[in-house]
Amino acid sequence: MQVHLKVFRFNPEIDRKPRYDRFDVQAEPTERVLDLLEMVKNYNDGTLAFRRSCAHGVCGSDAMRINGRNALACKVLLKDLNTDQVTVEPLLGMRVIKDLIVDMEPFFAHYRSVMPYLVNDEPLPEDGKERLQSPQEQERFEDTTKCILCAACTTSCPSFWASENYVGPAAIVNAHRFIYDSRDRAGAKRLAVLNQRMGVWACRTAFNCSEACPRDIQITRAIAEVKEALNR
Amino acid sequence: MSAVNLEKRRSFDQIAWNAMRYSGVLLIFLAFGHVLLQDVIVGVHRIDLDYVAMRWANWGWRMYDLFLLAFAFAHGMNGVRQVLSDFVHQERHMRAVNVALLVVWLVVTLMGAAAIFGGVRPVQ
Ligand code: HEM
Ligand code: FES
Repeated sequence: MQVHLKVFRFNPEIDRKPRYDRFDVQAEPTERVLDLLEMVKNYNDGTLAFRRSCAHGVCGSDAMRINGRNALACKVLLKDLNTDQVTVEPLLGMRVIKDLIVDMEPFFAHYRSVMPYLVNDEPLPEDGKERLQSPQEQERFEDTTKCILCAACTTSCPSFWASENYVGPAAIVNAHRFIYDSRDRAGAKRLAVLNQRMGVWACRTAFNCSEACPRDIQITRAIAEVKEALNR
Repeated sequence: MSAVNLEKRRSFDQIAWNAMRYSGVLLIFLAFGHVLLQDVIVGVHRIDLDYVAMRWANWGWRMYDLFLLAFAFAHGMNGVRQVLSDFVHQERHMRAVNVALLVVWLVVTLMGAAAIFGGVRPVQ
């Protein structure tokens, strides 16, 4: 099929303002938006800048706006767009470094603020090996372990668009992953970080995050569960 | 999730978030009850001073109206506070907004309370 691709272009070092470049690309319906970008970069314009690494929806590098919706370019098949017009733009709410590449540092700063690692200073179990956990205890936070930090959720959230100080769905998801882990001991500290205007209470239940997540994490639910933990 | 209960202090935004849910639940009864009675059963064109006097002869209805005013307005003001929170980025400024909205709520609710407690008196 013939695809009419429209790509957001901006190089802050030379451009005064962003523009859109158009490319007509020949592709199979079963190919992905990432394949279109690769074709353009290889055959039309080598200066096109975008991030990608695994190309299989695991690394979270290529989150971008595709026809207005946040998604991983490597997971969106052309046939699922139901149109031959494809517009690709960088994630909203973050500084554009070049074309489709945005500055992820503020996003990762929010991520770090919730201590996204296991904290447990108690002595190791008798055998000096693993801290055991029942399958039910593991199931409690299984969903939020699936996050790949692509930022599709946070940059789809109207509260984040309103203020980049909002900690954002991705950070809350990763806080949830440890708050509900029976082996962890820093839940109270994480909850204190999230118990602020720009913490979990800035969530307005818009559900954009859940819709944007390429791993189908039930993000709005996870956020509600963190609110629940605070209300206990 | 063991150490979670260490920090028990509720934050202002947490209380405001919860108030939004509680006032929302109350409004399901108060607001829909109000619409059903005044607009569907009675009808706006039949509401006059005599009707109000009749209804307010019962202190239960006066309390109902006061609750509706207080909670609907508090819910609305709390919602406006949320909306403004998107535009006011400094905590200091947000505190001023909170105080201003609280004062407006208090003044209008007290005016409403005065009207409801004053009741309907015959026009001289
Ligand atoms: C059946 C009655 C009602 C229920 C159950 C209800 C429930 C709610 C809830 C749960 C929220 C919070 C949404 C969120 O942030 O996740 C909300 C927001 C809001 N409500 Fe209500 N509400 C009701 C009636 C009203 C009325 C009568 C008014 C106007 C006086 C009102 C004005 C607002 C405003 C301004 C917001 C904030 C919207 C925003 O954050 O963008 N609501 N409502
Ligand atoms: S390139 Fe790794 S998630 Fe798409």
